[in-house]
Amino acid sequence: MNVDGVIAIFRRVLEIEEINADSDFFELGGDSLLATRVLSGVARGSGVELTFDDFLLSPTPGALAKRIGAGE
Amino acid sequence: MRVVVIGAGLAGLSAAARLTEAGAEVTVLEARDRVGGRTHGIEVAPGAWADAGAAYLGDRHTELTALMAALDLKATPTGMVGDSRFELGHGSETRHGRFPPLNAVALGELFDRLAEVTETVRTDAPWLTPDAATLDTTTAADWLEGLSPHPDAKLFFPLFLGEMMAADPAAVSVLHMAFYLRSGGGIRYLNAFEGGAQQDRVDGGAQQICARLAAGLDIRLRRPARAIDSGPDGVTITTDTETFHADSVIVAIPPVLADAIDIRPALAVPRSTTRTAPGCAVKAHLIYPAPLWRDHGLSGWSVNAHGPLLSTVDDSPDGGPGVLTGFVTGAEAHRYAALSPREQRATAIAQAMRLFPFLPEPDGFHVTDWLGETYSRGCYAALFGPGDWTRLGPALTTPHHRVYWAGTETSLEFFGLMEGAIRSGHRAAADILTDKQRTTS
Repeated sequence: MNVDGVIAIFRRVLEIEEINADSDFFELGGDSLLATRVLSGVARGSGVELTFDDFLLSPTPGALAKRIGAGE
Repeated sequence: MRVVVIGAGLAGLSAAARLTEAGAEVTVLEARDRVGGRTHGIEVAPGAWADAGAAYLGDRHTELTALMAALDLKATPTGMVGDSRFELGHGSETRHGRFPPLNAVALGELFDRLAEVTETVRTDAPWLTPDAATLDTTTAADWLEGLSPHPDAKLFFPLFLGEMMAADPAAVSVLHMAFYLRSGGGIRYLNAFEGGAQQDRVDGGAQQICARLAAGLDIRLRRPARAIDSGPDGVTITTDTETFHADSVIVAIPPVLADAIDIRPALAVPRSTTRTAPGCAVKAHLIYPAPLWRDHGLSGWSVNAHGPLLSTVDDSPDGGPGVLTGFVTGAEAHRYAALSPREQRATAIAQAMRLFPFLPEPDGFHVTDWLGETYSRGCYAALFGPGDWTRLGPALTTPHHRVYWAGTETSLEFFGLMEGAIRSGHRAAADILTDKQRTTS
């Protein structure tokens, strides 16, 4: 899954259109409940199961896409 | 115009205050020896109060916020600083933040499915939701099974529904679950402390709202209403010892209790059915000299797979003692309510000391069993079981002769919350005033 795929998931879960590769999920109002919905979206789209701690360390679409790439 | 209001909780008193402002002569009949209904305070130390019942509010609770401002009451943030504790089947763990140490993808899948079903509900008329027939006849427990859930989702689901709506998943329909979650602002808003429905508490305790609303109203305590007779000239409300005459009556009590009143002419549609279940919440308060967990970098928040305390939260009043509130919800509430006071105390304290091993024996211990409250019969709110929304929903707010309905269970907005109770009271008052205008003009 590339960065655009992750941006699309952020948009759907946060219900915010203005998301780019460097948008920080938690600064945009994301919380732990919504974070799990990003991770389930990532798992469905890429087959890569990330942990909550992975997401805390990579809370932007750019950083998350890199982690997904490492797992694919 | 004379109006009798049955029930001196938030709904009844909000209605009574509105009608009084509009010039009506209002008498409020209350079964208990206190006002407040499902808001109730416990004085845990001199001048320091803990909420035994409804406690939390957020920004979207606009009627409650406006009422508090009018009554000169302040909100105090729930503030959750520090790490959380979890006992989810593999011993106890400390984690940063509120997220439980469970499979995040599995929980995400569960929340995705919950968000989907929640978004389909028509909150203005849940019984008209697409696929209402299926959603209303399936229990939340069966719905979960149908998703073939991951074991972590299976473990978390009853804890989540317990916390959100004090429900045992086997007792509520999917339609009621989805409606409740949407009516309260959606799963994210209902679940959140900061920025959500648990952002604040009422400084000094939520019981003050009703106490202040009641000042200046005609309230008669210890008067459970037994019968309501509507006739062409008015309505008569009978208690054990008196009768009251009025032009209209507002029944502002939970649906199961409303059905215990002999209403004549009889209702075509009852207020509850045998499937309507009580909200299953028991609150335990453990009182310490100070919020000692904060010294250990802990917030007091915990989530636990086994009871009695399925979650704990720091409800300490500013500058007062440490108050650790334990929530016993869902099926666990029934088990806990059946224990002797000694067993209730011993099991709750033992669990608190497992979660927070540095805690001493508490200075005080209080249990509030809402299931056993004769004049509430459950808390947060009645739970609509399979079939209930289809049968009861269309008549939920429809006046019956001279009888009008209030109570948080009659509010399609923020159902089950203080905000819903207030909105229902205002709606019932408005219904009466509109009908009066119609008949006199």
